[in-house]
Amino acid sequence: MKALRMAARVLFFLPNQAAAMASNVLTALVQIWANKVRSLLTVLGIIIAVTSIITVISFVQGFGNYVTSFLRGLGTNLIVVYPEWIRGPRGEYLRPAEMDINDIRAIDAQATAIRRTAPRIVTRAVIEYGRQQINGVTLVCTNEQYQPIRNVYVDLGRFFSAVDVENGAQVCVLGRDVLRQLECDESVVGDFVHIDGQRFQVVGLLEARGSFMGENQDDVALIPWTTGLKMYPERRNYLAFYVEAESEDLVPEAEVQLVRILRQRHALKPGERPDFGIFKQDQVLKQFHQMRLVATTVLAGIVSISLLVGGIGIMNVMLVSVTERTREIGLRKSVGARRRDILLQFLTEAVVLSTVGGAVGIALGYAIGYVATLHPKMVEVEVPLWSVMLALGFSAGVGIFFGIVPAFKAAIVHPIDALRHE
Amino acid sequence: MIAPNKPAVIELIDVRKIYRVGTELVYALRGITLKIQENEYVAIMGASGSGKSTLLNILGCLDITTSGQYILGGQDVSKLSQSKLARIRGERIGFVFQSFELLPRTTALKNVELPLTYTRTRNRRQRAVEALGRVNLLDRAHHRPNQLSGGQKQRVAIARALAQKPAIILADEPTGNLDSATGEEIMAVFDSLHEEGQTLIVVTHEDHIARHCKRVIRLSDGLVVQDIQTQVDAPVGSAVPPVHASRREVMPS
Repeated sequence: MKALRMAARVLFFLPNQAAAMASNVLTALVQIWANKVRSLLTVLGIIIAVTSIITVISFVQGFGNYVTSFLRGLGTNLIVVYPEWIRGPRGEYLRPAEMDINDIRAIDAQATAIRRTAPRIVTRAVIEYGRQQINGVTLVCTNEQYQPIRNVYVDLGRFFSAVDVENGAQVCVLGRDVLRQLECDESVVGDFVHIDGQRFQVVGLLEARGSFMGENQDDVALIPWTTGLKMYPERRNYLAFYVEAESEDLVPEAEVQLVRILRQRHALKPGERPDFGIFKQDQVLKQFHQMRLVATTVLAGIVSISLLVGGIGIMNVMLVSVTERTREIGLRKSVGARRRDILLQFLTEAVVLSTVGGAVGIALGYAIGYVATLHPKMVEVEVPLWSVMLALGFSAGVGIFFGIVPAFKAAIVHPIDALRHE
Repeated sequence: MIAPNKPAVIELIDVRKIYRVGTELVYALRGITLKIQENEYVAIMGASGSGKSTLLNILGCLDITTSGQYILGGQDVSKLSQSKLARIRGERIGFVFQSFELLPRTTALKNVELPLTYTRTRNRRQRAVEALGRVNLLDRAHHRPNQLSGGQKQRVAIARALAQKPAIILADEPTGNLDSATGEEIMAVFDSLHEEGQTLIVVTHEDHIARHCKRVIRLSDGLVVQDIQTQVDAPVGSAVPPVHASRREVMPS
């Protein structure tokens, strides 16, 4: 029964409360508009804070999406094994350790958690076609397993086969950007190009992949690794290989197996530094998380300082406003405003002021994100809804926190003194 | 004199007000006892320092008494809390100030609606329009104060005081900032409100303003020194001084 009466009271008062609130907000907007320049300067701190929130969060989010999709493209089961530098007795770097094809074969034969492997030698090469010549193309020497392991496929022609690899055939697969630089179209398939002076038949074209972290992934040519070793015998020391685990869950097991096999084959004593390194994609994730942590920390610093500055600005301008409008407060009190009405009015004004600042900041953040994506090497940024909510929440919170003192000052003014105020 | 069958809207019983200014005590009101009936039209006069402002503040529930009782419409309001006083101001008292006190950048209509928002009254718009109609300012409803003349501003202020249908209207030197012609115009508005049955109290130091009223209370040094009831049937706006007024000299107690 009591609850019912309460509910009835709430229902009766709600429209009135809402109307009072609406009139407070309206008054606040009128005040802000009447003092445009002052209001703008006041909320500058809030604008900076919110702009930083939106910009940094959207960039981090954008890069996050980017890294995730890149890793998905990489194949989630991928491990890269590469030779480490051998160190001398004083810890100086001597030369890269040598891994040979037998290491790879042993892993293929013994490791049960590993589905397939592909050798990898990378160098830079000059490619010529007709009169066109391009330098510094990434030349990857690998085998026929490259496609499934790297999750990148030929979409015109064919990839080189196991037989091509066996025979060290002079065949190659080109990336789309190489085509563009050679100023030729897809009819180049079946034709011949020169790679570092040697004649290669183009058997296929890789699907376009775009760029990652500013690195063009289509500026690439692939040849059988056997052919590559003939051309660049000194790159033997740089032989690395891709390993694909049987499944994502088996990646750790695959790592354990290949470490055991390699240590055994390289005759490493227990506790001795391995002469090979292992790269998994969770390392990319770790790096990214590191970057995100730094960005978030910097963001928190900027945001807390500028919110503090903005908050003090709001408090200051609200104190001035309360003094300027003392007579208005007196009038309002004389026509029936209670302390809480005045408190609410000035608190609303502070919150509206800071929230308007927040809205401007959000718009600026969007604008910066938009301008940044105009750069060709920039990732697609995305402003998540929660960051907008967070920013608005922060600005409203600052308004409440720093508006309470001026509002309280306004509320406790005695009506007689207020009406006498000059 | 005072018709005994009419209910008293205001009753003050030995009201005293003492201020502390620094270490000194100021005896602003030193024992005021008076009754004001419904539909009375009262002028409160006195030199500055006589206590008329203090009396007005207490009558308007802007301030509380140090001792004594203030009974407004049958309710003792002498010791109410700030927020209850605010409520009484909003519901039962209409103020008219010397310098109008309209909200700038706010239309006449919104100014008139202001008290109604604090008392959570419904049909605010309609009542504000009604009040503006009573002061003949409907055609200026959407003008802002800076687009109005002094007399118009004061009429908006009167409409604001009327909006709540208050028990009493308290006017503090309502013509003080106006030229004499406009002042007469404002007093004519008060006269007509009186004829409609409104209880009015006007604080003034000008005799020609007081002449509009039907009763004059003169204060000096915090005491009522004169309380004259002019002829009830005297013509409205009569310039004839109240020669045949009944007189009651109140001696300091």
